[in-house]
Amino acid sequence: MSKITLDHVTKKYGDVTVLNDFSAEFRDGEFITLLGPSGCGKTTMLRMIAGFEKPTSGEIRIDGVTVSSADVFVPPEKRGLGMVFQSYAVWPHMNVFKNVAYPLKLRKTPKAEIDEKVRKVLGIVHLSQYAERMPSELSGGQQQRVALARALVAEPKVLLLDEPLSNLDAKLRERMRFEIKEIQHRLNINVIYVTHDQGEAMTMSDRVFVINSGVLQQVGDPVDIYRHPSNQFVADFVGKVNFLKGHSENGRIKLEGIDDILDYSGELTGTVDVAIRPENIRLVSGNAHLNGRIVSEYFNGDVNDCRVLTGDKELRVIAEASTYGKFGKDSTVGLEIADFLVFPESDNDYRKIMT
Amino acid sequence: MCIINEDTVLKREKKFYFDVKWLFIIAIVGFLLVFQVFPLIYLVIRAFISEGSFSLSSFERIYSVPLNWTCVTNTLITATLSMIFGVLLAFPLAWLVGRTNLYGKKLFRTLFLMTYMVPPYVGAMAWLRLLNPKVGTLNVFLQNIFGLAEAPFDIYSIGGLVWVLTTFYYPYAFITLSRAMENMDPSLEEASRISGASPIKTLLTVTLPLMLPSIAASALLVFVAAASCYGIPSIIGAPGKIYTITTRIVDYVYIGSDEGLTDATVLAVFLMVMALLILFISNFVIGKKDYITVSGKSVRPAVVDLGRWRIPITILVGLFALVVVIIPFATVFATSVTMNMGKSVFEPGNFTLKYWETIISRSSILRSAQNSVVSAVWAASLGMIVCIIMAYLLKRTNVRGRKIPDFLITVGSGTPSVVIALALIMTMSGRFGINIYNTMAIMVIAYMIKYMLMGMRTVVSALSRVSPSLEEAAQISGAGWLRRLRDVVLPLIVPSIVAGWFLIFMPCFYELTMSNLLYSNNIKTLGVELYNYQTYHSQQTASALASGILILVAVVNFALSKLTKGKFSI
Repeated sequence: MSKITLDHVTKKYGDVTVLNDFSAEFRDGEFITLLGPSGCGKTTMLRMIAGFEKPTSGEIRIDGVTVSSADVFVPPEKRGLGMVFQSYAVWPHMNVFKNVAYPLKLRKTPKAEIDEKVRKVLGIVHLSQYAERMPSELSGGQQQRVALARALVAEPKVLLLDEPLSNLDAKLRERMRFEIKEIQHRLNINVIYVTHDQGEAMTMSDRVFVINSGVLQQVGDPVDIYRHPSNQFVADFVGKVNFLKGHSENGRIKLEGIDDILDYSGELTGTVDVAIRPENIRLVSGNAHLNGRIVSEYFNGDVNDCRVLTGDKELRVIAEASTYGKFGKDSTVGLEIADFLVFPESDNDYRKIMT
Repeated sequence: MCIINEDTVLKREKKFYFDVKWLFIIAIVGFLLVFQVFPLIYLVIRAFISEGSFSLSSFERIYSVPLNWTCVTNTLITATLSMIFGVLLAFPLAWLVGRTNLYGKKLFRTLFLMTYMVPPYVGAMAWLRLLNPKVGTLNVFLQNIFGLAEAPFDIYSIGGLVWVLTTFYYPYAFITLSRAMENMDPSLEEASRISGASPIKTLLTVTLPLMLPSIAASALLVFVAAASCYGIPSIIGAPGKIYTITTRIVDYVYIGSDEGLTDATVLAVFLMVMALLILFISNFVIGKKDYITVSGKSVRPAVVDLGRWRIPITILVGLFALVVVIIPFATVFATSVTMNMGKSVFEPGNFTLKYWETIISRSSILRSAQNSVVSAVWAASLGMIVCIIMAYLLKRTNVRGRKIPDFLITVGSGTPSVVIALALIMTMSGRFGINIYNTMAIMVIAYMIKYMLMGMRTVVSALSRVSPSLEEAAQISGAGWLRRLRDVVLPLIVPSIVAGWFLIFMPCFYELTMSNLLYSNNIKTLGVELYNYQTYHSQQTASALASGILILVAVVNFALSKLTKGKFSI
């Protein structure tokens, strides 16, 4: 069982702060995702846990043992971790078996045991019949599994994954999500997973750490992050969102530019930012108390993704697939706002932070 | 299993810790300081100090003495022209052989690199036979065909010198450029094609600009090589009374007078400063560019289809190879079995093997050959150890001071052979407590200083093609520094290491310039032996020796190619 503690970790390159005062604790058997746009510091965080980078200040502990601090530094090879790299980093001069057996070889494992363990882990990643292949004879997805098998073979208590699925095609990516999750359950290991894909974060994680510009934005389970984002950035980065200005008074919010008033039981008063997720707006036929004109609609198979103009605002609405073609472009529809989020007013344009 | 325990924690790393890697750097830097930096600096100081006080009067002699001034201009003209022609030849050849569907690419590559693997003075010997204004075989042949009254070419001219220098130094550029070209990410070119550019347009707008650093590097190599070449101008220049800086320096050293030595020193310093200045400029430009083009995923280089030009271009390249490689080599072979040099080898009774018998039986020649092998093996092996460690530290670590040895090695290689030898003679013959003059050690040291860079470049470029994540993957698997080097880095760069070893070994094996200044009667080398036979005794014996070297090169190349399953041949 394993526990990783990050204690006020800061990383600077010269004057540039890539990670600012980051504190967290990753507990036994947890699947942790570090989520954020590229350049937010999440990969740096992972590489500091692995030992490829040294924190400028702060402390990292694994199972209570300090591996990185002002005067202690345990190099990566002594940390006993497993890691899958974005580029796979499968050694081109070794066949699949040798790639996977390498960590065991370093641990002076007896040959018979190496054999058994490698076979077993290759079975887990569905590569049993490819043991003798060279990496150049494998597809990208297979190379990726080799990297995964190699990271798992020495039974590390912590598995680090650096955007491992970003080079795979969509179908395979989706399948690997479940496989990685499955393997984590079976082996009961800690996983720290770095990604910019909120879908991956949602489906796999026990807890998600949302990071932006080197600053931790929110920690929580996927449902929590999605339903109760702590700020506008999180609301926008995790999921889709329409931002509107509004005025909160006496338990009601009057929206700016849209002729609608929402019931609100929260504490914020005065000018607020209202965030409405597109799937929380329903299209209804006939007159509702909020009406709009359909500007465009896109059939997505499982949903109908459309833009509706109401007042002087264009709202994105993700409606049931069956609504596609029912109203038609430029027709008037009724809108029902089923749920929304309220934040203190901020002038930042959160969409611009996203890259 | 968790590896973190009390043991590892005890090995606390302090903020200012002593890095083991520094030991390597200190050892290598120390060696270079004593045997390279100090002698060269001494040379510079001596050039500036005349009669015990600082003065520039020695330098006035460069342009005030016509003997010196003509050799300076000759050197500049020939080196510049050879550089231009060399790169103009090497770039298209490297592209055709590396990236297109030209016929016989493997054969052409071997042929072109063959030239690199043989001593330049062999080229001089061959072209001397072919383009002698009176009896040159090729001249006579052309005169007969076109009914010319006079020989069309005169080898004893600036043009002749440039021609031989170019044909023997363009492979330097060819090697650098074809390596760079093969390592380029093909998707960069594909992106250009998909944007609507033709293969030629892509070559000119994407490939060429991306390769500019490599082109600059290769041009530098050719220029410095041509300017500091001694073998070719000494064989061709001397009869034609065309002196270059190198031949002039050697003459002065042989004369041995105090004034002569001063002139030699000043010319050497001039040559060195020029070479190092260009080196600095070029490295400054190249240093800015650093692409990692190969990741952990395997990529296949794209091949450009030459279409209907495939056959004509193949023929053209074939003709070039015939004139530049095959005919000169064949000439040397023919000379080695010719009894009477005035007649054709095909005339009855003019064929003989007695010169071959000479070279495999005469004990002085055998001893020289042995000396050459031993000293070249030492230079290549020690050199590669230094290169591997330094290239690794340079490319893969942030150790302070890692750039110093690299800088010194680069400077050493950029320094003309003649200068290195002169500097070593003047400092290592007991004047400063070290006397290794007249030993093999001084030659091995000189060879290393001069030729280590080729190994260094090869290993560095191989290393930059190995993505750091491959090594990080080994590190996270539990491998320490040496272990990573052994299990991941070395196997991936072994072909380059072997290549680098031979790139050092071969030029050392037949080295002439430095050996000619450093040899003593009991440790002559093959190059010296061959040069003496060519100049003073018997051109046939020299040709037989040269042919022997050619055969050896071919055999080594073949063996190497078999050994590495075709992955590597020179």
